[in-house]
Amino acid sequence: MNLFLFQLRNEFKKLFARKRTYIGFVAFLIVECAVLFLLNLPKPKEFFRHTIEKNGYGFDEYFSGLTLGLFMLEWTTLLLGGLYLSLVSGDVVAKEVEDGTMRMMLCRPVARTRIIIIKYLACLGYTGVLIGFIGVTALIAGICYRGLGGLFVFAPLEKIFALYKLQEGLVRYFGALAMLAFSLATISSIGFMFSCFKIKPATATISTLSLVFLDSIFRNIPYFESLQPYFITTHMSTWLNVFQPHIPWERVMEDYAYLVGLNATCLVIALATFERRDFKG
Amino acid sequence: MIRLEGLTKSFGGKCALHPLFLEIKAGEIFGFLGHNGAGKSTTFGLILGQLHPTAGEALIRGVSVQRNRLQALQGIGAIFETPAFYDYLSGWSNLKIFTGYTARLTDAELRETVEFVGLSKRIDDPVRVYSHGMRQRLALAQALLPRPDLVLLDEPAEGLDPEGIHEMRELILRLNRERGMTVVFSSHLLSEVEQMCQRVAILNQGRLIFNGPWTDLRGSDNHFELQLNNWPAAMPVLVKFGAAIVSHGTISLTQNADIADLIAALVQAGVRIQAVQPVRQSLEEMYLGTIKKEGAVPLPLA
Repeated sequence: MNLFLFQLRNEFKKLFARKRTYIGFVAFLIVECAVLFLLNLPKPKEFFRHTIEKNGYGFDEYFSGLTLGLFMLEWTTLLLGGLYLSLVSGDVVAKEVEDGTMRMMLCRPVARTRIIIIKYLACLGYTGVLIGFIGVTALIAGICYRGLGGLFVFAPLEKIFALYKLQEGLVRYFGALAMLAFSLATISSIGFMFSCFKIKPATATISTLSLVFLDSIFRNIPYFESLQPYFITTHMSTWLNVFQPHIPWERVMEDYAYLVGLNATCLVIALATFERRDFKG
Repeated sequence: MIRLEGLTKSFGGKCALHPLFLEIKAGEIFGFLGHNGAGKSTTFGLILGQLHPTAGEALIRGVSVQRNRLQALQGIGAIFETPAFYDYLSGWSNLKIFTGYTARLTDAELRETVEFVGLSKRIDDPVRVYSHGMRQRLALAQALLPRPDLVLLDEPAEGLDPEGIHEMRELILRLNRERGMTVVFSSHLLSEVEQMCQRVAILNQGRLIFNGPWTDLRGSDNHFELQLNNWPAAMPVLVKFGAAIVSHGTISLTQNADIADLIAALVQAGVRIQAVQPVRQSLEEMYLGTIKKEGAVPLPLA
């Protein structure tokens, strides 16, 4: 077990020593600043004022750092999170194969299964760190801009409209963040699976992005509404249910069971593919 | 130490390695010779379990790599012709990461090996600033950790300058001499193989066409340079002795023909012999001669 943890630590060391690992972090900081700037424009601000005040709540209380933080999470993570998680997870095995470091590893008495498990855990770890970073920095940026206050949630696709006081808002915000990380781990799993195929790292990344974006696009087309339960992104967006006044735990559990199954399938395919592959210079 | 039993590999229906039977003894320096694409790297890949054989198996200390790779690869180090590292990390971090797949080593163990390969001064530099020679040294260091008793070196001198080649050769010889390590290496540099190996295997288009000590390869060397006053008169005698003219003035005798008998016969036939000189084939000629032999078949186990 000690050796396993040592190897896992080394995997994180490799991952976080690469510059490209940080592209996602930097990109999100830039996006957060841009979103804050755009929300400061009169029209978006007026929309929020109108929506909040129409329901009898105070704009100044609910157009807060917490609301802005959630707004940034809600509208940017699937697109940008998908992009950067695909970039890293698509690289994690394929790049090592391409560079030849995988052959160096496979000179050693280490099971292929162990290599894959370690790399997969590192991928999941990266997902958690990135989403945690996004959530915390979005909240801090929002607070710096608007200060603390209640939470206003508006998610039309999921039919959520809710307002919460600061304390409850914070609890739900961090709960949602954890669930979002869990949801986005699916993108990492898909990227990781493609990364284990005999393809270039860029192909693995593009395949993952294509799959996720196509799924998301089709899901948003009204014609396919009856097919909603079959789209991956439908289950991934279940993290927003934490903002329902009465959290539908049964549905949330069902969605996460689906995602766990999907992730496990991706991992099994990755293991089977990697185990059967030949590695030659 | 290593026993290959009918090891075969095909890629997409094309046979890269025909059934290979070979045995490498503990403590020897064994060389694989062959052109690019001869099957050397494929053989190494199969021995290390990086490739799945189409048929046959590789046994290391009696343990099948294909059936129990983890146990079979205990105590083995390997490097490749273009060793790959995490360029953005230091040599030291690379060593820790790669050796970490076998065991968690102490800094003292790592330092000792780094000193052995002569990389102490630059071990904390990022690998991206390393020269090719330094990368090879780092590769050798990782292969020597943790204290293997068998190292597989795939073209270890590739890309090195003459000084680097000499240093690498000395390091390998020291490993064998001081640590009793079994060294298996491949090269297309014939002089390298000759200077280091006790036994060689020559691969050509995925087939083993020679396996044995250098002396056996030289044993087939039976060429003589003749200076005669009358070649037409000498021809019937040469034919009678089964001699073949390989180039102007140079003949090749069969193994059971004696040059002394040939000279006597030529003299009896009235041919004046001005000079007779054995021609020692160069290593390259021997190698090329061996791979050109028609109908070469895999030899039995040594």
